[in-house]
Amino acid sequence: MISRFGAFLRSSIGKKALMAVTGLLLIGFLIVHVVGNLTLYADGDGTQFNAYAAKLEALGPLKVLAEVGLTVLFLAHIALGLRTALENREARPERYKDLAPKGRRTMASMTMVVTGAVLLVFLVIHVIDFRLADFSKVGLAKLVMERLTSPLGAGIYLVSMAFLGSHLWHAFQSLFQTLGLRHPSYAPTIKWVGSALALAIAGLFASFPVLCMMFEGQWPWS
Amino acid sequence: MSGGHDHHSGGLNLTLHVWRQKDAQAEGRFETYALQGISEHCSFLEMLDQLNEQLLREGRDPVAFDHDCREGICGSCGVVINGQAHGPDRETATCQLHMRRFHDGDTIYVEPFRAKAFPIQRDLVVDRSAFDRIVSKGGFVSVNTGAPQDANGLPVPKENADLAMDAASCIGCGACVAACPNAAAMLFVGAKISHLGLLPQGAPERRRRVLAMVEQMDRDGFGNCGNIYECEAACPKSISVENIARLNREYIVASACERPAVERIGD
Repeated sequence: MISRFGAFLRSSIGKKALMAVTGLLLIGFLIVHVVGNLTLYADGDGTQFNAYAAKLEALGPLKVLAEVGLTVLFLAHIALGLRTALENREARPERYKDLAPKGRRTMASMTMVVTGAVLLVFLVIHVIDFRLADFSKVGLAKLVMERLTSPLGAGIYLVSMAFLGSHLWHAFQSLFQTLGLRHPSYAPTIKWVGSALALAIAGLFASFPVLCMMFEGQWPWS
Repeated sequence: MSGGHDHHSGGLNLTLHVWRQKDAQAEGRFETYALQGISEHCSFLEMLDQLNEQLLREGRDPVAFDHDCREGICGSCGVVINGQAHGPDRETATCQLHMRRFHDGDTIYVEPFRAKAFPIQRDLVVDRSAFDRIVSKGGFVSVNTGAPQDANGLPVPKENADLAMDAASCIGCGACVAACPNAAAMLFVGAKISHLGLLPQGAPERRRRVLAMVEQMDRDGFGNCGNIYECEAACPKSISVENIARLNREYIVASACERPAVERIGD
């Protein structure tokens, strides 16, 4: 059984399938993450946001389990991405003078490795910023506000979300193709749902630095 | 077209940068040639023929390139023209690309299909026997399927017949690999999986076939599919990337379900 699964994961299609599944789960995480973050907009002083963070903390062992699971997902996805990228380089040792487009490539599909690498750097910064930082005294909302109202912090988050949007733009429809789920009747739907999802997730995340810079917590609606 | 006194009406004057490489081991490089008065009615290969006649007159080595039928059905020809496999046209093999697609004074780069699995033999000729090795692992029906069936004796859904026929139009030229930024062979293998697996004669072996062909594809050093779909755009027969989805699906299912003829107990 083990050897059979091992053979699958060593194959080009198996690696891509695992990358697709981990990617899909990570998209699920991003949706939960961005919806949870919207509590920042619920009030001006971050009470709701801090309460949401406290609820997650109160999950105790479940939270630890979720964090371990997320780490495994990220590591597997990143390792498979690196592995396949290296293999793809090896598959064409002598490059073309300039491989020109024939009509189906997109900016997003051609830059998955680059956008993925930028997101990895962002992930490290982000974890240091908000997961490893000590916010027991000031509260997480204040920490977020401080970071996102500084020009450097806001810049890093905004640029990273542009890369996230690009990565997801290709990722969603691509993962269905990799898992063999393509049919003329629903392929166009998957494509526009993926585009909409990429714009929504990246747009909502990007709204935090933009609105924090503009209003510094004094939301016009609250 | 008569006379030829007018510089421009006498055909195209071109600057060609052609990849020259003595053999698989030698270092290759672009060499530059000036060609005058190429008729725009020439095919791309006929233009290369004229270049070779010019080189022979000058006592130099002609450029080696693959070709056979010159009518787009054999899959022998194929070069990368200005970075595009088979050149700028859709659904067109190099032999059917015409010089009217170019302009007087153009500079054209001509390179071989590049992939680790397609080693260069000489100049623009690459060894595509990796495709033959993949097919030898199961790209066929290994049992005698008998004499021709009576009409309707072996029902085939119309949709499957169409999809299998579309996939079977693959001529194995290798443009999918050449155009793929990752040098993957998924469109070629996907076409074989569809054309055999969708028909009743090929269906019994579909799982064994997909496992063996993918294993050989990986062993030959092709890259991983990134779903960029440049293969479909470069394919002279416009084989759809739907065939890659079918290949993925068949491989995943076969990996989970296929029972090898001999399997160790507890394996």
